[in-house]
Amino acid sequence: MDKVGIVGYYQVKPGLDIMMSPYEMIFEAVRGALDYADLKRKDLTTVISATNDYYDGKTISNCFKVEAGGAYMKDESKVEMDGAHAAMYGLFRILSGNHKLAMIYGISTPSCYQYESVRVLENDPTFDRPINLLNSYTSGGMQMRAYMKAFGISEEDIAKVAVYNLKNAAKNPLALPEAKKADITIDEVLKSDILSTPLRELMYPMKCDGATAMILAPERQALKITDNPVWIIGVGNVNETYYLGDRDLSVSLSMEMAAGKAYEMAGIKDPKSEIDVAEVFGHTACEDLIIAEAAGLTDKGKGISMVDRGNLNPSGGTMAGYTPCANGLTRIVEAAKQLRNEAEGHQINGAKMAIATGQVGFCAQNNVIYVLERGGN
Amino acid sequence: MAKVQPAIISCGFCEHASKRSDVNMAELVNEAVEDCLKKAGSIEWKDIDCVINGNMPAFEGANMPELWMTDHMAAKNKPLLRVTTGGTTGGSVCIAGYYAVASGLYDTVLAVAFEQQSCGNTTVGLSSVALGEISIFPALGYDYDRLKRNLGAGAAIGIASYQAMNYMRRSKATEEDLARVVVQNRRNAAKNWWTHLKMPTITIDDVLDTPYISYPLRFGMVCPASDGACAMLFTTEEKAKQIADIPVYVNGVASYSNETAIVGIDCAGAGQVDPCEQLGAVKSAEIAYGQAGISFPNKEIDYAEVYSPFPNQELMWVERVGLFEENKAPEAYRNGVSAFNGELPINCSGGVNSTNAIGASAMERPAEAALQIMGKAGNQVPKTVHTALGHGWGGAINFITHVVMSDEPQRKWR
Amino acid sequence: MLEEDQEIFITKGMVRADFDFWVGLVMDKFYDGLQEKKFIGTKCSKCGKVFLPPRNRCGDCFVKAEEFVDLPETGILKNFTVTTYKITERKIRKVKKDIMVGLVQVDGADTAMLVPIVNTNPDNLKEGMKVSVVWAKKLKGDPQDIAGFEPVGDG
Repeated sequence: MDKVGIVGYYQVKPGLDIMMSPYEMIFEAVRGALDYADLKRKDLTTVISATNDYYDGKTISNCFKVEAGGAYMKDESKVEMDGAHAAMYGLFRILSGNHKLAMIYGISTPSCYQYESVRVLENDPTFDRPINLLNSYTSGGMQMRAYMKAFGISEEDIAKVAVYNLKNAAKNPLALPEAKKADITIDEVLKSDILSTPLRELMYPMKCDGATAMILAPERQALKITDNPVWIIGVGNVNETYYLGDRDLSVSLSMEMAAGKAYEMAGIKDPKSEIDVAEVFGHTACEDLIIAEAAGLTDKGKGISMVDRGNLNPSGGTMAGYTPCANGLTRIVEAAKQLRNEAEGHQINGAKMAIATGQVGFCAQNNVIYVLERGGN
Repeated sequence: MAKVQPAIISCGFCEHASKRSDVNMAELVNEAVEDCLKKAGSIEWKDIDCVINGNMPAFEGANMPELWMTDHMAAKNKPLLRVTTGGTTGGSVCIAGYYAVASGLYDTVLAVAFEQQSCGNTTVGLSSVALGEISIFPALGYDYDRLKRNLGAGAAIGIASYQAMNYMRRSKATEEDLARVVVQNRRNAAKNWWTHLKMPTITIDDVLDTPYISYPLRFGMVCPASDGACAMLFTTEEKAKQIADIPVYVNGVASYSNETAIVGIDCAGAGQVDPCEQLGAVKSAEIAYGQAGISFPNKEIDYAEVYSPFPNQELMWVERVGLFEENKAPEAYRNGVSAFNGELPINCSGGVNSTNAIGASAMERPAEAALQIMGKAGNQVPKTVHTALGHGWGGAINFITHVVMSDEPQRKWR
Repeated sequence: MLEEDQEIFITKGMVRADFDFWVGLVMDKFYDGLQEKKFIGTKCSKCGKVFLPPRNRCGDCFVKAEEFVDLPETGILKNFTVTTYKITERKIRKVKKDIMVGLVQVDGADTAMLVPIVNTNPDNLKEGMKVSVVWAKKLKGDPQDIAGFEPVGDG
């Protein structure tokens, strides 16, 4: 794969209800990313959005976002998955050589809809939906139980991950203010309300309104735009089966396969030592570990060690505020910030190689992973 | 020019009907995927490197159904991307298939688009396009009741009748001209195995005998709501040569979006002043032809499939994408230029006017165009097709997909 | 961003959209079976895997799985969770009674299905315990016919 550069990005400051219309948020994100990279709208050749018709409560959710997203008279398309998947399509377009500058943005406003209810619509309509037992709470609970049983992990360990993430969030200026918990203790997490055994409220992220935008360019153009781009040197995407009853929930097969492909592409032999920082998209504190393990950052069942090393989700990850459709993109942007030494307050020193992941589906059915490398000096 | 030259090696369909009650969504899609693989020669499902899927989720009431359908579309443990853009979903999925190969990341890519409209209520689904903009109406001084009454106008027929009026004023086309397009489409559909409305003996008078739905469009001119799915298989030039007798090279793709048509001042029409101007289509055509090295589309294109749920749109599109001169399409249709055995056959599959599984419709256009080049179409035209066009349209009349393909790879023209 | 003196419009409205999903011939047979208090699964024609609830294609082999297999009423609890949140397509509600959800693999099937667990309390649940189906009082040929699975013997 040829190198593709991340040359600009912008995150709208998230909030539980930020009282902005989606169009204002998109405009702020897209304009912000262009300004950051010192580019103009006319420089863009393609725009890919990540939105979801059901989350937005409207059919063809991208059609009114054309102008706000800078896509008027541009080659435009939408990926109805996570922002990280939209970035994948942007990557296709850049790598093909047809396009020289791709804007990717993801947005959702969960203050306007009930996220868990809408996710019920993802279920198999021939059985799981009428029987109505599968949702983000129960799937998260079963996944956590499977993980704890398979590797002898205790609830305290998972609570430790939640505490770690929430404390990291406190250091991240772009984390959801309500998720910034510098003084949280393991005890508090273990005393929080049970969502679905053994999953507790503080192990599950808070949903927030937000938008993230990112600009991709081919190697030659990227070097003209900035002296220190972040290179995407490997990418992998795998989708496993939907049926929870067919899957081993204690591991993530799709991430394992995707990471294998991405590392091969990037020429990484030993991710444990070569990856300096990881921004993973786990839907619960427990899933963060499962995904980090599947991405080969540590041995299976040893995810907790990542917490001690401190290079997993320095931004707080999904627990720092979860914006559907944008979260994967936020992870990529956070990882890129680490590589450019721009992560205010949560910088990992000397980070040269990073991974960022995105996902959709119950128990991380479809995973995508990016290997990012620091460019320039 | 793309670094890797993508080629279409196979296209599959399932049988379309108003109610495919014998299958669920996953099984419907499976039919098209298996039909596509069956015609793909030595390619097996394991050789597929990536799957792209799309539909218009509001019509079935299922969010991201591809997650559930994974096992049924040969996507288990493979990359899977969902691309949806409303009416152009099929075309966008097709273009994503092209880019997945052109990027060099994947060799063989399956693109699938479908719609099972009988699961839900299409008009409700469509009106929520307009309803989403409800926030602006109180600001304009509309009360909610009035808005509710007018919601239907945001849906397809509302915009289409305005578009028809505009087009008829410009080109002096008559209602008879519109009916002629319908007759041509439905008679063509009768000869194509997978289509929905098959009317081998329909006449212009039959169409003009039906009542108006919204002037000037009559009941007999409106597209049906279908259940159906379509699948396309893309691969690299090298592989395509080994597998297919006649690989179809995709040489130009574009999807330039126009300004959104905000529902107009009386809630009945488009904010684009003239909905039959279609700047997006003009620009997309220009870019795609440029990529494909086509300078004179009206002479170089041998066959075209355009996206026309309503007959006036077929006349409009063939002009906007450069196949006929402005306002000259009605005359060409009268002279049989666009007929099955004409000089430039158009929509010989029966078009969207005969079969409209919305999410799949915009993919069926390039798929049928590719089959005409391969010589394997259900309603194969007598002339030899070298270069063909598959076009799609949708959104709030602002999305376009434009796919230009040929039996020769791109570079030879340059 | 909203200024303080700006007025906010709140417009309430509801558009009702009803959806009726076709389940396909294979699931039809499954639902007919439920009405007769029978589990009917399908078998992959290549690898022989048995699916319950049935599906007409095997994801691993991508071939037909349309051979019907009658399956018993007993099975094994593979995984479970207990929640007090009832999440529907419209809202989330907190209920007083615990809802026990289990992944139950019926004997002879290779896949597990998501069903309610009944007639026991959450503390008694453990992975690998034997369970048996409890049919609804009134059978209608839909998923609600499975009132749940209850533990049998001493687990």
